[in-house]
This record gives sequence, structure tokens and C-alpha cells, in this order.
Amino acid sequence: MTFIKVENLRKQFDPPRGIVAVDGLSFHMDEGEIYSLLGPNGAGKTTTISMLSCLLRPSGGDARVGGHSVREHPQAAKELIGVVPQDIALYPELSARENLVFWGKMYGLSGAALRRRVGEVLEIIDLTERQDERIEKYSGGMKRRVNIGVALLHEPRALYLDEPTVGIDPQSRRSILDVILQFRDRGMTILYTTHYMAEAQELSDRIGIMDHGRMLAEGTHEELVKIVGEEAHVELTVDRHLEQLATAWREMDGVARVTVEEERAILLVPDATVTLPRLFETAAAVQARINEVNVTEPDLEMVFLHLTGRALRD
Amino acid sequence: MSRIWAIAFKDLRTNFRTPVAIVWMLAAPLALASLLGLAFGGGEGYSIAVTKVAVVNLDEGAAAEQGGGRQNLGDEMLAVLRSTDLSTLLTVEVVASEAEARSRVDAGATPVALIIPPGFSAAVLSATGGGEPVTVYRNPAQTLGPSILQGVVQQVVDQFNGARAAAAAAVHFGMRQGRDEASLSQAATTAAAAFMSEALSGASGAIAFRDPQVVETDSKEPGVTAVVLSGMMVFFMFIAAANVARTILDEDFAGTLPRLFTTPTSRGVILAGKYTSVFLTVLAQAVILLLAGWLLFRIQWGNPWAVALLTLDGAAVSAGIAVFLVSILRTPAQAGGVSSGVFVTLALLGGNFVGTAQVGGVFGTVRRFTPNGWLLEAWDATMRGAGASDITVPLLVVLGFALATFGTGVLLFRRRYA
Repeated sequence: MTFIKVENLRKQFDPPRGIVAVDGLSFHMDEGEIYSLLGPNGAGKTTTISMLSCLLRPSGGDARVGGHSVREHPQAAKELIGVVPQDIALYPELSARENLVFWGKMYGLSGAALRRRVGEVLEIIDLTERQDERIEKYSGGMKRRVNIGVALLHEPRALYLDEPTVGIDPQSRRSILDVILQFRDRGMTILYTTHYMAEAQELSDRIGIMDHGRMLAEGTHEELVKIVGEEAHVELTVDRHLEQLATAWREMDGVARVTVEEERAILLVPDATVTLPRLFETAAAVQARINEVNVTEPDLEMVFLHLTGRALRD
Repeated sequence: MSRIWAIAFKDLRTNFRTPVAIVWMLAAPLALASLLGLAFGGGEGYSIAVTKVAVVNLDEGAAAEQGGGRQNLGDEMLAVLRSTDLSTLLTVEVVASEAEARSRVDAGATPVALIIPPGFSAAVLSATGGGEPVTVYRNPAQTLGPSILQGVVQQVVDQFNGARAAAAAAVHFGMRQGRDEASLSQAATTAAAAFMSEALSGASGAIAFRDPQVVETDSKEPGVTAVVLSGMMVFFMFIAAANVARTILDEDFAGTLPRLFTTPTSRGVILAGKYTSVFLTVLAQAVILLLAGWLLFRIQWGNPWAVALLTLDGAAVSAGIAVFLVSILRTPAQAGGVSSGVFVTLALLGGNFVGTAQVGGVFGTVRRFTPNGWLLEAWDATMRGAGASDITVPLLVVLGFALATFGTGVLLFRRRYA
């Protein structure tokens, strides 16, 4: 059953000449699924979440959250969602408990219900023991957990997480990813943005790949990988005549695509075992020398490369 | 409504937990008032430290024909300086010689010395005058005490000169009547002595000492500390309001304001909470300063209703101007710099740094273009005993400033965060 439906969503800042951050985006999320928006910085992921959070008003199109239009009935839509912003948005002078109590009131909780829920959330984020310490004394990972906890206070049906693992240690990242999987198991619908391919692959039921404000492709991990077929990702570091060599490789049978980046050539090949010796032969023919070779199986990085001609990390 | 209070109290809590904010809101105005109050003697008046005076009385006196004895006006001068009227200002130390008197000053033992010459009485009581003058020998580094002594001595000498004038008038009158020299001399002495007797007895009020001290009087004249603290309070209320209003921009940059906008709490309620926090913070600051002034410096602020209305009015206009300023600025850094500049300018024009004294002229006109000028005028009137109804005009003018600036600020914010 569809819980969030995005239709032709568009955002242009400072119209008519300003940047179009999101350009005709459409997708849907079923209740209880984790949907990841994957894309490089500037792809439009945060702007999309901002519009779905009713923080930014769309320039065009609409989105429905639990049946409520973010344009027409933003208050009703906001009742159903919890938002975890990319940066820590807490009051550092207040303790974790004081922060949670304050934000709980902003979500309309009060009295015993508020106290009960604050206690539960402190348990979820595993900070009961240190609830009275000021946020400014917490580590980055602890702050991230409180940042997530705030969005859980009113038991939302959908949770938006905008790159919640940026800049934290691996242990804290693992902890946060585990918590997110628990939410999914409880039936919460989760919209997750990231530019970490591995996170999207591990967490997501479905993934939407964005770039320049547009949806390039969406589906399950397996479905997306099929876009690039069974081609392997071969990365070669070449010390000279790279352009000449790339031109030669593009004309070879068994090479689907060649992209050049500085001293590297990135190739998509259906069968690396057969093709690799021929790649070396061609290099020798143009008197180029291959210094390094990396072969990887098809993944989301390759999908993005295939769709945009650029690496995801760019 | 509960969400507005939640936002307001959260801001109050964070503000009063920040040491820098506490310093700006409470410590700075209290410290300035204390320092300036102490510089002027502390407490509730212009009390002045007692000045020690070394006096050498070399006066040999002059014959007083009436009664047959001699009259020594040097002793009279000494008696005046030792009078209880001047006891809070001067302490007299009698020395034996002029050299000793001068050496006391040179050694720094006393800031000033008074040298009454040998022919002082004779000069005063003669009809023709002349003779050596009274000398006030002072340490040039000391100003206040020597000036007081000089003023007192001058007044006494003026009275003595009045005696001499009376003697001269008697001689002139006798000469027109054709009296002999002995008779004229007796008439002059009698007239001068009569004038002196009347003057020194105080019956005519010819010698009147003005005591600059206002301690223990029934006057409603506000003391230095009260004047300074009221000026500083109004100034720092503006500064505190700007600091709290700036948290709207701080929160915008820190991400908590956008996050608040993602909650089911409406933007109007969120902004109302922020405005309330500005108002309450400044109000709390004013109440604490008023109480501190009352408890620490014994300041009598005046009629409670007038004080309450003025405090509320001051908080309202501080919040209004602060919200307006922040609404037209974009970044916390801008807000900090511009607000400080605006409020210092307002303080200079409105008279926060010169106290609540009633002033006229161009400055008196200019200060009326500022809300703080009106506030200070009303505080001055209240401390002098005015009631709430007596300060209606300043209250309404300040309220007008508050409503105009606050209304404009709210409109601009609503447009920005629409």
C-alpha cells in the first residue's frame, strides 16, 4: 500500500532564473519499506526531503504523505512524519532529556505521555544513563543518536533520514544502521538519503538514483545492477598515451564503455577474464604502460557510472 | 499557547545558562552602576569625603570700642570652620605657624591649609581696609576638598567685607555730620562689630552654608547609583533583547529553526514563542536589576505601579526594536554588529550614558526622538516621586515605538519564513 507518493515534484530557487534543484521528480514508497535516494552531493536529495517535510514549498508538482498533500495540508502531513536532518539540530546547552522534552512538546506531546515517550526514546537510542548531560559534552555519535531520537518522539508513521551517518565513526554508524533496520521491522516507512553506496545497498528495499534533480533509475538493488548487465568494472591506471589507448579500447569487441578520469580508465566489460589480456596487448601496441588494475563486480557505483558517465563520489 | 511558552522557556533556560549572556544582562549594568556610585561616594547620594584642613590663626584681633574689649575675627573664622554644619565636609587641625601649615600640605598630610594673617581683624574692622589677605594654600593635585574650603572661606570673608562696608558707611555718615576723628573711629568699629555680630549669629541669615550632601534628607532627588543604574538598565535591556532576538538567526543557521518548521507546530506559533522569549528575557533582566538596585544600593525606584508599567514598557520596546532589527538582517554576525551600533547610537542620543538628569536644549529635543530618551525621562520622574498617571505620555510614546517596530518586524519575518 502506497504511503508516500511524489508526482512531478519541482523546486526552483529564486525563480525564474535560479537553480532548479529538483526537476520533475516522481516516485512512490510503500508502507513499511526503506527507500533510499542515492546520489552525489548536489543531486537534489536534501531539497526533496525538505519538500516532503513541508519545510520548502514545491515550485511545481505535489507529494502526498498518508494521503495528505504537502502543498495543501502540510500540518496534517507533518503529524505523520519524523525528520532527521543532515546536520545536528539540537540545543547544545540543554541535556538530552531536556532536548527530547522540548521537541516532544513541539510534536504536541504533554504530561505523562511525554514523560513516557521520552523514557522510551532514551532507551531506543541507548542514552538513558547519560540523559542529564548537556548535548555539548556528547561525542559526535551520541549527538547523532539524539538527533534521530527527536524524530521518533511522536511515533511517526514515516521517518526521513538525510545522510544520518555523515562524519561519524564506524561503530556509531553500525549502531545507527541497526536502529533503522529495527524501525523498518516495526512497520515504519523510511526515506533515507545517502551518497554511501554500501549503506543504500544494505538498508534499502528499493533505491532511487538521483542526479541534477532528476530520478535516473529506481528499483531494488538487483534490478538496478541489471541495468549495467553482468558487466565487470575494470579500472586501469596508465602512465602515458591514455587518450590514445582509450580510443583503441572503445573500438575493441567486448568493451561496453570506456571513461577516462585523470590517469585512470574505467571500463565496463562483460567478461573480464577474456578481455583483460587483450587490453594489455592494445596498451603494448600504443607503447602505453598499465601500472595498476582493479576488477570489481557490478554494483550501484557502476550503475551510476553507467547512467551518468561520472563516478558517484564526484 | 503551551507551545509558545515551551519555546519561550527553552530560550530563557538556554540564555540564563550562558555565562556571557549573564554578564551582559546582569553583571555589566550592576558593575557599572556600582563603580560609578562608589566613585561619587556610593549609596544613595552625592556624599563627599571629609577634607582635613590645617589652620593657622595668626590674627592679633582689633580693639572693639563697644564693650571695651578686643575682637578676634580669626577666631570667628575658625569657629565657622569647626561648626557642626561643616563637620561632614571639613576637619580642622590647628597648627602653630604658617610654615607648619604649609609643610602639612607639602608633606601630603592635609590637602589644604588656611593661613589667617596677624592683621586680619584690624583690616576687616577698619573703615579703610587694606592689610594682608587670608591665604588658602592647596595641593594642586587635590581639587574637591580645597575648593569646598575656598568657597566657605570666601563666604566668611565676604561677610567680613560687609562689616567693613558698614564701618565705611558709618564713617562717611559721621563725616557729613561733622564729627571728630575719635568719634568717627568709634562709630566705624561699632557699626562693623554690630554687622559681624548679627551675621555670625545667623539672625539675618547673611552667612548661609550650602551643604551639597543629600544624604538623610526627605528630597526625592535620585542618587548617583540610581541615575546610573536606570540608564545602564535601559541600555543593557536593549542589548539583551538584541542578543535573544538574534537567536532566531542563530537557530536558522544551526538548523533547529528549520527543524522546528518540520514539526506540526505552526510557523506563527514558533515565531510567537521566539518573540515571547525576547520579551520575557528582557523583563526578567529588568526585574532582577530593579531588585538588585533596591537590595544592594537601597535605590527607591518610586511608585510601584509606575515602576511596573515602565518595566513592561521598556521590555516591550526593547523586544520590538530587537525583533525589527533582526528581521531586516540575514546572518547572526550582521545582527551582532548592526544591533550594537544601533543601540549604542540610541544610547548616546537618548542619554543612557549621562543618566536620567533632566536636560534641555538641543540634546533635550534630540533625546525625545529615541525611545530610551523617553524611558529615561519617565524613570527620572518616577524616582522623583511621579505616579503612573504622571508618566502617561512617555509610556504611550514608548509603547508606540514598541508596536511600530514589533509589527514591522513580524511582517518581515512572516514574509521571510512563509
